[in-house]
Formats: sequence, C-alpha cells, structure tokens
Amino acid sequence: MTLTAAERARYQRHLSLQEIGAAGQEKLKAARVLIVGAGGLGSPAALYLAAAGCGTLGLVDFDRVDVSNLQRQVLFDSAGLEQLKAEAGRARLAALNPEIRVIAHALELKAANVRALLADYDLIVDGSDRLSTRYLVNDACVLLERPLISAAIHRFEGQLMTYVPGRGPCYRCLFPQASDGVVANCAEAGVLGVLPGVLGTLEATEAIKLITGVGTPLVGRLLTYDALELRFQEFRVERRRDCAVCGEAPTITEPRDQEAQSARAPQDGVRRLTPQALRALLASAAPARAPPLIDVRERWEYDTGHLPDAVNIPMSELPRRIAEIPRAGEPVFICRSGGRSLRACTMALAAGIASPVNLEGGMLAWAVEVDPTMPVA
Amino acid sequence: MSCTVRIASPLHSYTAGASRVEAHGTTLAQVLSDLEQRFPGIRFRMIDEQDRIRPHMRLFINTEAARDLAAPVRGGDTVHVICALSGG
Repeated sequence: MTLTAAERARYQRHLSLQEIGAAGQEKLKAARVLIVGAGGLGSPAALYLAAAGCGTLGLVDFDRVDVSNLQRQVLFDSAGLEQLKAEAGRARLAALNPEIRVIAHALELKAANVRALLADYDLIVDGSDRLSTRYLVNDACVLLERPLISAAIHRFEGQLMTYVPGRGPCYRCLFPQASDGVVANCAEAGVLGVLPGVLGTLEATEAIKLITGVGTPLVGRLLTYDALELRFQEFRVERRRDCAVCGEAPTITEPRDQEAQSARAPQDGVRRLTPQALRALLASAAPARAPPLIDVRERWEYDTGHLPDAVNIPMSELPRRIAEIPRAGEPVFICRSGGRSLRACTMALAAGIASPVNLEGGMLAWAVEVDPTMPVA
Repeated sequence: MSCTVRIASPLHSYTAGASRVEAHGTTLAQVLSDLEQRFPGIRFRMIDEQDRIRPHMRLFINTEAARDLAAPVRGGDTVHVICALSGG
C-alpha cells in the first residue's frame, strides 16, 4: 500500500525514523485496528493511532457523551454532549486525519456480535470499563488469533499488557476470573483524569509497535503505573496450562456472555457484591423490591451492629430455617468477613434458591468501605 | 523478617489509604496473617475460604508471581498485591 504525496508530507517525522520509514508507514496505512470503548483509554489511543496514520480505525461504544466524561475523555468536547460517542469520535478523528477511514460501531459488544466485528480487524485495543467486556474481547481474540492490547485504570493506578495468541499469556492467564460486582469501577471509585491519558497512549504505542514490527512488545509482562508515586513496575506473567480459553484443554471454545457463563458453572451460581455495590443496590431499589438481607452471624454478633432490615438466621440454624428465605428477589447473605455467608449461599443454592448473593468481605468490609460507624463484633 | 507490601488501590480502604505497608513473615501465608492482624478483613479480599489466591487477584514477590501461600518471603522482599481493574 504505497503512500500518496499528501501522506508523505503528513507522516514526514515517521518517515525520518529509520525504524519506521516508508515501509512501516505503509504497514500502518494497511492496518485495521478496533478500539473497544471510546472512554478515558480509548480517547488518547484513538487520537494517536489516527494521527499516526492507522488506515482503518473502528470505534465501539454504545454510550453517549456525558459532561462527567470530559474530565478525561479527550476525544470529545462540550459541544458534543449527548451525542453517541462512536459518532462524535468518528467526526473528531476524521477532522484530525482525513487520510484514514474511521468506522463508528455504536453497539454493545455481546457474544452474538463479537466474532463478526473482530473478524474485520487485525488488532484490538481494549479500553472498556467492564470486566465482562474485557473477558469477552479476550476470548474472542484468542479464538480468532487477534493480538489484543489491554489497559485498565482505577483512581491513581493503571495496568497494561499486550496479548499475542500463541506467543504468550492471555488476559485469563493473568486473571482467570473476575466479575463486575467484585471489582469497583471508575464511577464508584473516581479516577485521576490524566491517568487514562498515560495508559491509553501506551496502548497506542504498543499498537504501532506490533503493526510495524519494531521494538519488543509487552507480551508476558504486566506493566503497572502508580501516578501518585510516579512509579512504573513490571511483573512476569506466564501462560497457564489450565487457562480456560488458551490452555491445553480449553473449556471456552466460543465467546460467551459472562452472565451465561455464571449460570453454567455451579460454583459461580453465587453472585458476589462489594459493599459499595450493595449500598448502590439498596439505594436504587424501591423498598418493596429491595433484596432480602440474611445475616448469618451468631445472635450476639448481629446485636452488636447490623444492616437495617437484615434478618438474623445464624449458620447453625440455617438448615432448618432455610424455608424462611424468600425464593425470589436474590437474597444477600452477610457475615463478618464473607466466609460463612459464602457457605450459606452454597446451602441456599442446594435448597433451590436460584440466585443467592454473597456480600464480599462481609460486615468488616462494609465498615471499612461504606460505614465506618458500623460496629462489628 | 520484614518485607514491604504494596497494596492495590481497591484495597486501600483497609490500610487507611496507605499504598505501602511493612509486614513480617517468612512465607506469604505469614505475611498475610500479619497484615490481617493489623488490617482486619484484608486477607479475605485476596484469599478465598480454601486458602487459594482469588482469581481476580495476583500476588507477586518482587517481580515473580506467587502461586500459593507457601511461597517463601525473604527480608527486604517486596510483595505486590495486584487486583484486576475494570476502569477504562
């Protein structure tokens, strides 16, 4: 794919780099990169890849621009509020570099559409804000043999890794399993606006390196960044032979939505909620629809301090009193630190309660993360 | 034996906001027990009821991954507690 005169002028500084030159720039022109999530990470990644002359850029996001996004999502501006991010982003990137093709995918990635979408691209950059999407994209990349560059952020910290199928570990090798109820997101925890600028720019750097074949990619190495201490660290991550998707006997052979996976795996029939997620659930549910709260601690522990409306059924009494728990409404089981309540969830499942929920970390975690005035025995 | 433990940001609420704490122990199990004494509840966020490292957590001793709680910790080592992050 040869360069036009206009492109030669635009990419002059790349052409001057011996490592990139005309051959590398032509590879960039031919490359098709999909950016999943036009948010804090996707914004700088998309801007730099567009500026660098990445020939085809896809942007996946079904959300609209909110004023609270503008603190970090530099792809958008105040004039674009309420617009679809994929569309607003496409317009911004086309204005930055009319030499490239930008495709807006204003849709939610699901098991049903992920294969078809990823198949049209050579390389995927993940900047999504949900773990379920991260696993879906990872699994599809392994199955379709597409390289994946993935970053994630939280408050002042970020992580980055590059996954090249067949050459190193995948995201599931790093974290075999996680769900959105267990890990806090930016909306709940906050994030330093410039943090995704650093990580998203590193994602673009990795993409350009993989496309042009220069340098050493971040394969098998997890990079972490602590903005408060301005510290980067690197950790060695190996492929897991028992990885569910890229291991020796994979159990995931088709992309699946995380909810469907949970329903299939008996051990994961238990939903897990962080204290902050439970607080949000209790605050948003109408009183009649609030989940039943079952506190399985001993009576004296319960009397020291408990959540309003929590019913006390100590573990020792649970087998004979399990019929008292409503079958519907996803009961939340609570104990001191989350161990007894998880056992209670397993008992509830065995007793036919379809969707028991465990409060991760129990009342100790609630006191640390939500209500420091809560006494815990 | 004293080591440094760097705590993932989602767990800072347990350590009064500290990202780095000192701990004692010659194995990962001992180091985490020492942490639990001072920061009740923190161990359960990393380790499940069967003493396995939770699948959304990684523990590294210096730059190498710890596979289980028997992993040895030497004086001066740094234990890194890393958590899957979802933010984008």
